[in-house]
Amino acid sequence: MQRRHLSLQRKAAALTMVVAMQAVAALFFILDLAGDLLAEGFGAHLAAESAAVVALLAGVVIGAFQIRALVLSARQDEAAVAMARGVAAELVRLRFGEWKLTPAEADVALFALKGCDVAEIAALRGAASGTVRAQLARVYAKAGVGSQSALLGAFLEDLIDPALHATQCSETEA
Amino acid sequence: MTEIASAPTPAHRPARRWDPVVKLTHWSVVIAVIANALFTEEGSGTHVWIGYALAAILVLRLLWGLIGPAEARFTAFPPSIGRALAHLRDIRSGRHVEHRSHNPLGALMVYAIWSCLGAVIASGIAMAGLPGQARNERSDTAVSASTEIERGEDADEGDEGGEEEGALGEIHEVAVNLLYLLIALHVAGVVFETRRSGREVVLAMLPGQR
Repeated sequence: MQRRHLSLQRKAAALTMVVAMQAVAALFFILDLAGDLLAEGFGAHLAAESAAVVALLAGVVIGAFQIRALVLSARQDEAAVAMARGVAAELVRLRFGEWKLTPAEADVALFALKGCDVAEIAALRGAASGTVRAQLARVYAKAGVGSQSALLGAFLEDLIDPALHATQCSETEA
Repeated sequence: MTEIASAPTPAHRPARRWDPVVKLTHWSVVIAVIANALFTEEGSGTHVWIGYALAAILVLRLLWGLIGPAEARFTAFPPSIGRALAHLRDIRSGRHVEHRSHNPLGALMVYAIWSCLGAVIASGIAMAGLPGQARNERSDTAVSASTEIERGEDADEGDEGGEEEGALGEIHEVAVNLLYLLIALHVAGVVFETRRSGREVVLAMLPGQR
């Protein structure tokens, strides 16, 4: 998701080069055609050449529209990710404050939310795994959850549309 | 949920970059102008072909001004003296207004440079002729030399042709010198705006993402 807008931007840049070369080629053909028309008048050969020019020009215009679509969807993607990040960060801040986590617990909880296990968190924080396990236990207690996945669930519940959530829960129950 | 959505999120809005078409056409024009100003022989085949390529790039940018994303369109930076004066007042009072496209002074510069390029290209093509004709006439000497010879042969028909060529050459020369002046002003404007508002002005036009 994060890298999608970058790949879209790269595609747009590559297509821009192709379209620019097409534009240059189209202009050369148009000038060449105009020169030939003045020199020898219109004939079957020049008719074919004119068709090629029209096709090139159409390629330039359609290519330009395609570049715009790529540029716009890259921006949309970027904006959506940025907004989701902002909202998620705000939600984390609010909940951690509500649960009165200490700075160390908040740190551990954030790693846990990102999917790290106890050993990884211990390595990242340069702490003993026993310490991290104790901190995590306190985080779970303060949040009123029993596991790492339940902690994640506590956040997702707020981020996912409640209506959708309700229907899917009732479906699984039924 | 609503209070979270409306809560003040950290205002880190990614700096807006120009789209790839604006960047590519900008730097292609830079390369073409430098090449024809410094490296190619005036009136030579290479000089003329670079001129044609420049024309195509300019046309592509103008097309992009009609169909590109919002900030690349002509409607995003109309040439307006009134706005330019308002912008000057902003500068004097130290006020910073965000412009999603070119700032109003920059917009005037853009249209001035495009007009100038148009005049250079039009006069150049008028002198060099169309590629088909030019190719027939061109030996290994420069186009202008061969056309001059042709003009010389036609001299008994009257001097009109030669005068026309001279006038076109004059237009080409004047327009090019005006272009150099505008480019100098443009660079000065970018330096000034960078000092006033930060590096984003330059970064926005550099190749690559982020």
